[in-house]
Amino acid sequence: MIEILRRMLRSPQGALGLVIVGLILLVVIAGPWVAPQDPEKMAPLMRYKPPSAQFWLGTDQYGRDILSRLLHGARATVVMAVLATALGTLVGAVIGTVSAFLGGRSDEAIMRTVDAIMSIPSLLLALLIVNLLGKSSLNALLAIALAFAPGMARVTRSVALSVRKQDYVNAAVARGESAAFIVGREMLPNVVAPIIVEMTIRVAFAVMLFATLSFLGLGAQPPASEWGLMVSEARRFMHLSAWMILWPSLAIALVAIGFNLLGDGLRDALNPRT
Amino acid sequence: MPSIHRRDFLAASAALSGLALSGVPAFAQTPRRGGTLRVSVDQAVSKLNPLVTRVNPEYLVAELLYSNLTRLKPDMSAEPDLAESWTNSADLTEWTFALRKGLSFHDGSPCTAADVVATFEAILDAKTASPARQNVGPIAKVVAKDDATVVFSLSAPFADLPVTLAYTNAKIVPAAVIKGGLQKLDREAVGTGPFKLVSFEPERQIVVARNDAYYDKDRPYLDRIEILVFPDVSAEASALIAGDTDLISTTPPTEFGRLQKASGVKALRVPSGQFCNVNFGCDQKPFNDVRVRQALALTVDRAAMVDFVTEGFGSPGNDTPLNPAYRFYADLPAKKADIAKAKALLAEAGYPKGLEATLIASDRPGQRTQLAVALREMAKPAGFDIKVETMPHATYLDQVWKKGSFYVGFYNMQATADAIFSLLYTSNAAWNETRWNNAAFDKVVFEARATVDETKRRALYAEAQKLMNAEVPSIIPAFFDLLGAQREWVEGYQLHPRGAVFRLDHVSLGANAPKRS
Amino acid sequence: MSPAYILKRVLLIGYTLLVVSLIVFAITQILPADAAVMMLGENATPDALAALRTKMGLNDPIWMQYLHWLGGVVRGDFGVSMRTGQPVAPAMIEALGRSLLLALFSILLMLAVAIPLGIVAAVRRGRAADLGVSFLSYIGVSVPEFVTATLVVLVLADWLQWLPATGYVPLTEDPLRGLKHLVLPVLTVSMILIAHVSRMVRSELVDVLHSDYIRAARLKGLSKRQVLFKHGLRNALLPTITIVALDVGYLLGGVIVVEEIFALPGIGRQLIVAIQARDLPSIQAGALIMATTYAVANFLADICYAWLDRRIQYD
Repeated sequence: MIEILRRMLRSPQGALGLVIVGLILLVVIAGPWVAPQDPEKMAPLMRYKPPSAQFWLGTDQYGRDILSRLLHGARATVVMAVLATALGTLVGAVIGTVSAFLGGRSDEAIMRTVDAIMSIPSLLLALLIVNLLGKSSLNALLAIALAFAPGMARVTRSVALSVRKQDYVNAAVARGESAAFIVGREMLPNVVAPIIVEMTIRVAFAVMLFATLSFLGLGAQPPASEWGLMVSEARRFMHLSAWMILWPSLAIALVAIGFNLLGDGLRDALNPRT
Repeated sequence: MPSIHRRDFLAASAALSGLALSGVPAFAQTPRRGGTLRVSVDQAVSKLNPLVTRVNPEYLVAELLYSNLTRLKPDMSAEPDLAESWTNSADLTEWTFALRKGLSFHDGSPCTAADVVATFEAILDAKTASPARQNVGPIAKVVAKDDATVVFSLSAPFADLPVTLAYTNAKIVPAAVIKGGLQKLDREAVGTGPFKLVSFEPERQIVVARNDAYYDKDRPYLDRIEILVFPDVSAEASALIAGDTDLISTTPPTEFGRLQKASGVKALRVPSGQFCNVNFGCDQKPFNDVRVRQALALTVDRAAMVDFVTEGFGSPGNDTPLNPAYRFYADLPAKKADIAKAKALLAEAGYPKGLEATLIASDRPGQRTQLAVALREMAKPAGFDIKVETMPHATYLDQVWKKGSFYVGFYNMQATADAIFSLLYTSNAAWNETRWNNAAFDKVVFEARATVDETKRRALYAEAQKLMNAEVPSIIPAFFDLLGAQREWVEGYQLHPRGAVFRLDHVSLGANAPKRS
Repeated sequence: MSPAYILKRVLLIGYTLLVVSLIVFAITQILPADAAVMMLGENATPDALAALRTKMGLNDPIWMQYLHWLGGVVRGDFGVSMRTGQPVAPAMIEALGRSLLLALFSILLMLAVAIPLGIVAAVRRGRAADLGVSFLSYIGVSVPEFVTATLVVLVLADWLQWLPATGYVPLTEDPLRGLKHLVLPVLTVSMILIAHVSRMVRSELVDVLHSDYIRAARLKGLSKRQVLFKHGLRNALLPTITIVALDVGYLLGGVIVVEEIFALPGIGRQLIVAIQARDLPSIQAGALIMATTYAVANFLADICYAWLDRRIQYD
């Protein structure tokens, strides 16, 4: 663990990724406490203000403090994305591992079906699912998780296939252990590392997907300070204040960059070959 | 404050919009003929059948292709359209309209009294589902006396008939088309209007070309009009600033400042009775209790709301749909926010701990969400916990509009007080979305429409407004000024306070307008 | 590349589409909407609704409805749009054409920019140029399309007024205006593609340049430039083809947002409009067409790959 961390800090991507993601986690945890203002408090006389000493990032169309909204919105944006990815990964990992374990025709059938589902763009799949479930943050989370599952299943399977050939799995089969035991206790734990790498990179994607759903009006609902929704709302006022659209856009990009860097750094650290 | 008379009000509005209404019209010299005008609209034109259109861009197109018997002037009075002149019986129950001679539809067939009769029969038939049905007045029977004379028999005395016949959906269509099925008009246009349909792509552009057989030999001045659909209002403003389009029919306050500053662009503004409101389902808990509605109305800081919703291009409302833009506006004491009183009312109604509700706002125009979120914040201290839910406009129209019990509405100014009351608030209103069903209100509105005496009528409408102001079937916190913009080379265009009337047949292009094939 | 392999791939496409059709049909069946009410409007009488339900087969068991729909799809009949009352297929095919035009221009721009960027970064590995490209590509893959789109509109269309912000003019109607309207959408879509592919080209090229046979070629006395272009690039570009094909999947998702923002009436925008209006036949057709496009693109990429690289063995 320490070794991996040390290796990560040595690569520029890993180090930068760790710093950015660390900062983001800090904001997620402490954001609402350090926010200087109530994110929903309106001030009719303080609308569309540019950044100033009082409002570091300026104010929005209701005179609300943008910095406070961003700090509060970090949870809605980042935590949801991480949860969605984790859920999608879990579902995908189980499908992938089971498929690899079963092998043969069942494996073929499962994987072809997964491929088929993957031919529906994830945004479209998420759109359809949100419409099916009704729009809310929670449903957007489920939609993204479901949209991610096939891809994760594919990744897990390829890792699990190589694991399956390992001696300890063969040993377990020889011992006559149940399939559930072998998949759960012997195979899954050993496919975790590569999956975590994939997952980290996908969090970046989930943040973007989440924001996109909110942007299309299908995720978070006003007056939530989810960042994608903030961009979406700010579009209407961009000629009165361009700051309103700039900050949440930057925040989304920063989170995505952070997780992308962290993912690449992790991959390099776990795979010292290249 | 003395009541503002309509004439003064409109003169003031004309000055604001930069057009001289009193004195010489801005288009005094003979308008240049020819040219292509590009008009932009902010919504798709999905309905082409003029009897069932329901949004402004659709009205704009229908007005180019079809004609009414009368049309609405910018001062909200009626002027001749297909009807040359009209007379009425002394008791206001029988009206006779004389049609112009030699009228013809776009397909060449003549337009006669029989077509007018067939059209009104179709409008009054519930199966047509035309919004005009409840908006053209208490018509009992329409008869063609001869080829050029139509007689309307009314079920009750009605003073406003010439104005209501100019209603957006009361457009004359051929009797033959009605017989063959109105769905023919979903994709083509057979009207008597100043322009003929050239192409129709509901979500992109609609093109019309001059109708040489139009009854007026001078108008229209333009050869061709392209109506371009811009789902994005910001892009719409950019296109005008760049000179790609010539005229924006309606623009939101958020774009207006930019248009005012742009060179070669004339920003247009006119006060209007257009408003955004919060509708209560008065037949459903908790809003069936008048105290709950009053409490919520008392949380609204109306001056702040004008800023939030109209960016300052508007005026505060008083929970009645009439404002000084209407002839029979009654000047009631302005409502002020009073959180303590709101709390007390809510407790009295049985919600001492406050109450939760989901307020639905369609995403178009954006002011609806703006209003919803502001209301949520203003109502919070009084104990209202409002959850705002936005949805695409199409979903809203299909699932919430007229059915929901707590949502944000958005309405154009109507031509008369009677029109707005019987469109939205009487028990038999076409869009009785509040289900307020107040017998006393119905009675005064009904009496007023049959009253000729100006003073008596004014008193009756004042009573109606008092009832709405007190019982709050819907919160009307703010009225909008109508905003638009045009290139300086566009001549003869005047922003109409009704919002649904455009009169583009009066528009021409100046000498410096770009040539467009 | 044996005929059997191609046959297998074609069969797989068939299977893919079958699965997708099932999923899409299932989702649209559960969507809260009464098809008959949507077609006749809220003022329809109960009798008329019942008659239409029978006529449309809405009373049949679900599997019969599915087979009926699938039968139509096989014949190219996707049904009638509930929103416009027009047949779905022609409208969707026309929209697909516009989307493909957007995709084609985006891929061309991507190839023109991403490959040189990747080469420069690989050749100057570890130096400023490499870091610069790497930095830009991180930004490129991390900024969602709707943010890019909004910013390019704000800057290029509104502030600088170089280009129209949104809208669509068919190239056949006015080629110059048509192209102008395509610039911003193409720019937005290609941004992520460029970022992605340039990274790919770089890492493949770095691997190849360190491989034994390149060293051997250098030892034979070939110039650096010859080695790079004759051997390195060709081998590095092979995997890139697969990546481009996989990116088609992204591309299709991306065009949904980009078309919506730029009001470009392609298949993505049609789908959003259809979803918002609960126009079930259009949703089904749109989703199926998107999946087909993706499957076909992957198939073509595989064939290309196999054809270009005969060394790869297939069973």
